[in-house]
Amino acid sequence: MASSDKVPVACPANHGEGKEPMGDPTKTTTAMLDRGTAMMQSLKPIRQMSLHVCSFACYSHDPGCQIEVHIYGHRVNQDFLQCAVYDSNSSKAHLIGIEYIVSEKLFESLSPEEQKLWHSHDYEIQKALLVTPRVPELVAKPELKNLAKSYGKFWCTWQLDRGDRLPLGVPSLMVSPQDVNLGRIKPELVKKRDEEHGISSESLKPSRDGISGPEKKNLVADYWVRFRKGFALDVVETDMKRTAPFP
Amino acid sequence: MASSGDEDQVPPGDPVTVSTLVIDAGTKIMQRRLPVKQMNTHVSTFAIYGGDMSRQIETHHYIHRVNDEFLQCAVFASDHSDAPLIGIEYVISDRLYENLPQDEQKLWHSHAYEVKSGSWAYPRLPEVVASPELKNIAKTYGKFWCTWQIDRGDKLPMGAPELMMSPQGVGQGVLRPELVKRRDEKYNISTDELKQRRAEIAEPEWINPMADYWKQHGKCFVLDIVTVEMNRNEKFP
Repeated sequence: MASSDKVPVACPANHGEGKEPMGDPTKTTTAMLDRGTAMMQSLKPIRQMSLHVCSFACYSHDPGCQIEVHIYGHRVNQDFLQCAVYDSNSSKAHLIGIEYIVSEKLFESLSPEEQKLWHSHDYEIQKALLVTPRVPELVAKPELKNLAKSYGKFWCTWQLDRGDRLPLGVPSLMVSPQDVNLGRIKPELVKKRDEEHGISSESLKPSRDGISGPEKKNLVADYWVRFRKGFALDVVETDMKRTAPFP
Repeated sequence: MASSGDEDQVPPGDPVTVSTLVIDAGTKIMQRRLPVKQMNTHVSTFAIYGGDMSRQIETHHYIHRVNDEFLQCAVFASDHSDAPLIGIEYVISDRLYENLPQDEQKLWHSHAYEVKSGSWAYPRLPEVVASPELKNIAKTYGKFWCTWQIDRGDKLPMGAPELMMSPQGVGQGVLRPELVKRRDEKYNISTDELKQRRAEIAEPEWINPMADYWKQHGKCFVLDIVTVEMNRNEKFP
């Protein structure tokens, strides 16, 4: 089973009809737990996820296959963000993956083997594919300038676009939009996103003039663009590591 | 590895400059962040690397109950505000699980032991409030991908994700006592007491033998990164 499988094994969970995820509505008793926890528990790591951007991502094994993403990020320090990725910005959004974002400085410290799994962000920011809903460009500008020089690693854990009504299979490595044939986002995807959010990517482009990418373009990131090879994950059944069980 | 200041800092990096702080404050006011706000339940529990069950970790799940049969969770290494985001877990009912093909079922783990043993705990929440939810969780199955292996010293998330397994009552699924003790002391929890209180939670009538695959098959699942040639028919670049 590989992340690049076009269709997972047939089962109710991969028939496109019906709501995702599958499942009966929430009972009252469990809804009451929600209220209890909201009052009594501290949810510090989640509260940090205050940055919302909307953009597009492509499957590393098939960049022509593209999705809209809503990224909720926590800027942990000047060089690092960790993000929960969703398919929409509504309360019913599906959690579809994780993206980590590092500065140029941190990225250059990674081995080339690791760097191959990462993608740049400058193109999607310069073309206003990446937008900051409800935050004016002026306020967003410093963060956009920062992000334009960064690199990301995005694992998609739920291929909704494949019709999966539950998260099936293994994670997929995702890549960013790029200024090459397969990497340009389909206009109908952009149009749909723009209409839903009352945005015009076209009219945002001028404000992105002067936003530049990394000081030194890394030749290993966005590996597929230069080398025409993407990466997929394949699951392998293997012997367990032999360790003495406890006690 | 380039890092500034503290060599042990995970992840490495400079403190946030004022300009990005401004946008953070601005965004907090203007954006509604509806999806993350749904993650309103915190669970402290443990997980074990499927590919190396000597590696056991404390985890902090922040859970969105999407419907009666499905939860989606962001998993962190601690409950601090700077906790590393280390993975995602999905939780489904036994009914949904039974309808999955076998090859998919093998990637999931059961929760009955984890709940009944007291490993799965709700910090700061009275057990009586948690009780109905616990009965539900005890019958579920989870799939947990770990994307950042902090426990092996990674200062940044490296490599491919790893499939995680749940604590079990036998063999390599048994949690090391010091790991549980440390969690208990930090959160003023008594795992033993929870175990006693949960004795009345019904065991599932049957746990699918495809779940917790290592138990009956002695095998685990690892992810290989494979190279895929781009479609040569596409005009490129």
